[in-house]
Amino acid sequence: MPLLGDSQVSLADWAFLALGAVAVVTAAASLLVRELVHTILWIATFFVALAALYFLLEAPFLGVLQLGVYAGAVTILLLFGVMVTRKRIFSREAATGLRPAPIAAAGLAAVVVGAVAVEVGGVAGLPSSPQPYETTSLSAALFGTYGPWLWLLGLVMMAALAGAIYLVREGRE
Amino acid sequence: MTLDPFTTAGLVGLSGALLGIGLFGIVTRRNFILLLVAIEIAINAAVLNFVYFAAFASNPSSGLNGQSAAIVVIGLAATEIAVGLAIVLALNRIRGSINVTEATALKL
Repeated sequence: MPLLGDSQVSLADWAFLALGAVAVVTAAASLLVRELVHTILWIATFFVALAALYFLLEAPFLGVLQLGVYAGAVTILLLFGVMVTRKRIFSREAATGLRPAPIAAAGLAAVVVGAVAVEVGGVAGLPSSPQPYETTSLSAALFGTYGPWLWLLGLVMMAALAGAIYLVREGRE
Repeated sequence: MTLDPFTTAGLVGLSGALLGIGLFGIVTRRNFILLLVAIEIAINAAVLNFVYFAAFASNPSSGLNGQSAAIVVIGLAATEIAVGLAIVLALNRIRGSINVTEATALKL
C-alpha cells in the first residue's frame, strides 16, 4: 500500500479524497448544527464540493448546473424558507436527542452500500481515467434520446409550480 | 491493495456514506427544512453516481445517457425543493411551527 505522498497516488486521487472528505463532513455538519442558518451555509459548501467533483469527473456542464441550481437557487430558497418562518433568524433549534436506532440504521445502510462497493470495485474493462464529453454531444443526447424525459420534466415542473401557488395562496385555512 | 480512491469502490463508498448521512437526517430530524436538506443530500448521492459512472462508461453513448439522467434528476430535485418550501410556508401559517410531528391533520 503506497503511503501518502507516494508518486503512485495521482493528483486526481488527492483531489478526489479531499473533495470527498469535504462533502461527507459538510453533509454531516449541516444536519448536526443547531442553527438553521449554519445548516444552510454547510449545505452550500456541500453543493460546491459536489460541483468540484463533477468538474473532476470531466462533466463541466453538470458542474455548472450544480453550481447554478443547487449552490445558487436551492440555497437561496432554503434561506428564504428560514427567513419567513422564524421570528429571529439566528434562533436555535430545540436539541433533538440522538437516539441509537436511527444512527444504527443509517450506519447499516452505509455498510451495506460499502459492501456492494467492494463487490463491484473490481469491474474490469472500464476506462482508467474519466472520459470527457463534448457539451454539444451531451445536448444531442439530452434532446434526442432523453427528449421525452425533458418533456415530462417540464410538465412535472409546471404541475409543481401550480401546486406550490395553490399551497401558499392567501385566505386558506 | 493500493491507495487508489479514484475507483469504483472509492466512489460508491463516498456516495454510500452520503446516502447514509441523508437517511440519518430523514429519520432523526423533525424540522421540515432540515428534512428537505437531508433529502437533498440523499438525492445528490444518487446524482454523483450517475456522473461517476457516466465518466467511466465503456462506450460514449451510455455515458451521455448517464449525464442526461443526472440533469433530469437535478431538475426533479429542484422541483421537489420548491414544493417542499411551499408546504413549509403553508404549515407555518396553519400550525405556527414547521415541526413535522405537529402536522397531524390527515391522521385517522
